[in-house]
Amino acid sequence: MRNMNSNSGSKARFALGLCLLAGASSCASLAPARADETCNSPFMTGLIKGQEQYLHVWTLGEKGVGDESDKLVTIDVIPGSPTYGKMIHTLSVGGRGEAHHMGFTDDRKYLWAGRLDDNKIFIFDVGSDPSTPKLVKTIDDLAESTGFVGPHTFYALPGRVLVQALSNKLDHGGMTGLITYNNAGDLVAATPMPLDNGGDGYGYDIAINPGRNRMLTSSFTGWTNYMMDMSQLIQDSSAMKNFGNTMVMWDLKAMKPEKVFSVPGAPLEIRWALKPGADWAITAGALTSKLYLVKEDDKHQWQAKAVADIGDPSKIPLPVDISISSDASSLWVNTFMDGTARLFDLTNPEAPKQVYSKKIGAQVNMVSQSWDGKRVYFTSSLLANWDKKGVDNEQFLKGYSWDGKELKEDFVVDFHKEGLGRAHHMKFTARSQKAESN
Amino acid sequence: MRAAATRAATALALASALSAFGATLAGEQAKSPLGLPPVPAAIAGSAPMQRLGERLFFDRGLSANNTLSCAMCHIPTQGYASNQSALSIGMEGHSLRRNAPTLYNVVFKKFLFHDGRETDVAAQVWGPLLSPDEMGNRAIGPLLDRLRADAVYGPAFSAAFPGEGVSMTTLGRAIAAYEATLLKGDSRFDRALFAGEKNALTPLEWRGYDVFVHKGGCVSCHVIGEDAALFTDQAWHNTGVAFAARAFATTRIELAPGVFQNVRLSDVGLSAPTVKNDLGRFEISGKPEDRWAYTTPTLRGLKETWPYMHDGSLKTLEEVVDFYDRGGGPNPALDSKIKPLGLSADERRALMAFLSTL
Repeated sequence: MRNMNSNSGSKARFALGLCLLAGASSCASLAPARADETCNSPFMTGLIKGQEQYLHVWTLGEKGVGDESDKLVTIDVIPGSPTYGKMIHTLSVGGRGEAHHMGFTDDRKYLWAGRLDDNKIFIFDVGSDPSTPKLVKTIDDLAESTGFVGPHTFYALPGRVLVQALSNKLDHGGMTGLITYNNAGDLVAATPMPLDNGGDGYGYDIAINPGRNRMLTSSFTGWTNYMMDMSQLIQDSSAMKNFGNTMVMWDLKAMKPEKVFSVPGAPLEIRWALKPGADWAITAGALTSKLYLVKEDDKHQWQAKAVADIGDPSKIPLPVDISISSDASSLWVNTFMDGTARLFDLTNPEAPKQVYSKKIGAQVNMVSQSWDGKRVYFTSSLLANWDKKGVDNEQFLKGYSWDGKELKEDFVVDFHKEGLGRAHHMKFTARSQKAESN
Repeated sequence: MRAAATRAATALALASALSAFGATLAGEQAKSPLGLPPVPAAIAGSAPMQRLGERLFFDRGLSANNTLSCAMCHIPTQGYASNQSALSIGMEGHSLRRNAPTLYNVVFKKFLFHDGRETDVAAQVWGPLLSPDEMGNRAIGPLLDRLRADAVYGPAFSAAFPGEGVSMTTLGRAIAAYEATLLKGDSRFDRALFAGEKNALTPLEWRGYDVFVHKGGCVSCHVIGEDAALFTDQAWHNTGVAFAARAFATTRIELAPGVFQNVRLSDVGLSAPTVKNDLGRFEISGKPEDRWAYTTPTLRGLKETWPYMHDGSLKTLEEVVDFYDRGGGPNPALDSKIKPLGLSADERRALMAFLSTL
């Protein structure tokens, strides 16, 4: 950590902000959402600003479906291609381990993908030929080497990958930590989440603002809860006590927690605004169905506060993935229970307003936008035992065009019909990465 | 199903063999903490057996996907039970039907598991190891082969069991030897009752003890002996917990500390969880009088081992006392000992104070 070059991160982030500045003035609330790439680490190079070519879906194996194993599925998303909108490659890694999230290394040549149940981390080579990812390494000693389990978020640092775990091997509860690996997959450090000054020890997502040397983390729940049937879980008052209710602001270079915020109801994905000068971040509380803003107050003290409801919180719509536009003018928010994608106007981040919604399916979890915001992709699976049952257990990747007013369906891949399983996290690749240019 | 039945039959055969082994050493006993009977030496085993058993108990590699160990449901810091959830969560998140019981003083139990289906602490380990919903091993051989080939386990088994090595029997005996060390005694209650230190309990706790023994009648099932107290009659009873309604029209959910919401599952897009029927001891005995009956659990370490009852449906000691005070859960096979108690507020408070001393 001591050798981290924060300048390179700052340059990358501000270059990103500057290149978007020209279009910012035209971004009204319904302007094209720009750049799901903003959810990637600012330390990652090779942003795809043109047309993404391949979409990789980290897919959970499902009993009774195909080989029943977790797999990396590659979809051709090149317009005009004979195989556009179709599966062109699958790489089965064997067994079901609760496949969940992925993240690129800083050079974008390798894609790390984790499993929340058996704690395996798979490193895929997506740089050599992105149409045909290859498994090059499996890390299978996370629990024994760190005591933490449930590798969730994979976030690039210079020469490193920072992993946020969700749980621990002592009681499968929510106390957990951050793990730093080098790009070769060797363990560098393990850092527990704070338990003092209001910290509850929980973890979920990572988001870094290198210009301010600040890292934010959020909090979810431990193995027992995320592996349990959701209907059973919400009726289990003992288990419902075990959700995180905090976010932590860290001194990134020192890797030290600086302040713990009270953010009730499991704050999940965190997105920093990338607009220059807009040093704020936003997250969604899954159980309380609220958007929370993290921002400095008049006394330059970082604070977190609820700024908007997401749907009707009394109906527990369960907001899941979010995606912020690069000019920080809008935010896609998926609500799992009603299968709806909602667009919020973030022009005033203190008072976000929902300005558009569309039902995507019986359930919807992840959302990813193209760089120009004209293409938006959705997948269906949340967690194997949280997904809906019976006919509502739709498993899909759906690609849409977004013209600033309507989402128009371009293609659907039915993951059950194709014998694949439960579709979860998505990442883009292209043969020729056009970093920092159009 | 056939494979599961075969594994179960094998485990039962092993149980008989281990019981026979235990009988040969039944006369030897090891010293226990105040308030507990001596531990049968045949189960306690040697120090190498206990060390090996401890390693096995905490080894997640004993499950099919290296995710679960015995200690993931019987958590040491939670009284060798689990405060994490009402029902235990097993392989790939499968929900079991029952709450993980504490392992405190398990060595003294005549009937193991909530339905008392096993009687040998060494043999019972193979139940969870082979259950598809628990540790998920599909067969016995691959697990034993892995242990034999392991650089640590191979020599550890040889040291603990000279001439025997790794087998179904020695694996069970090693874990049983470790579990025989999980003794909970020498509490303030024990010092007050068995060592004559009357001041070890407060006046409130003594009043609670009196309620426990007399007006509450708790002691008729949670037995206190002359010189030891296991707090169990080694039998099973229908208290009506299985009849306590779990299917309310609405569910009160705590979304965040102090943030509650009443919802119908169907209104939020969820179906009711698939809860398998649970007939308790009847599933083992086939006797109508055993319907919805479960073994009497020990009360040792009670304040550490919430949530309570076979299904974890009662979260606090207060809820448990309320349950018995109103006469359990009415049902056609309710145990005749379960009747409304008519406790005063002070008696309830005293009873909870007493229970917290164990």
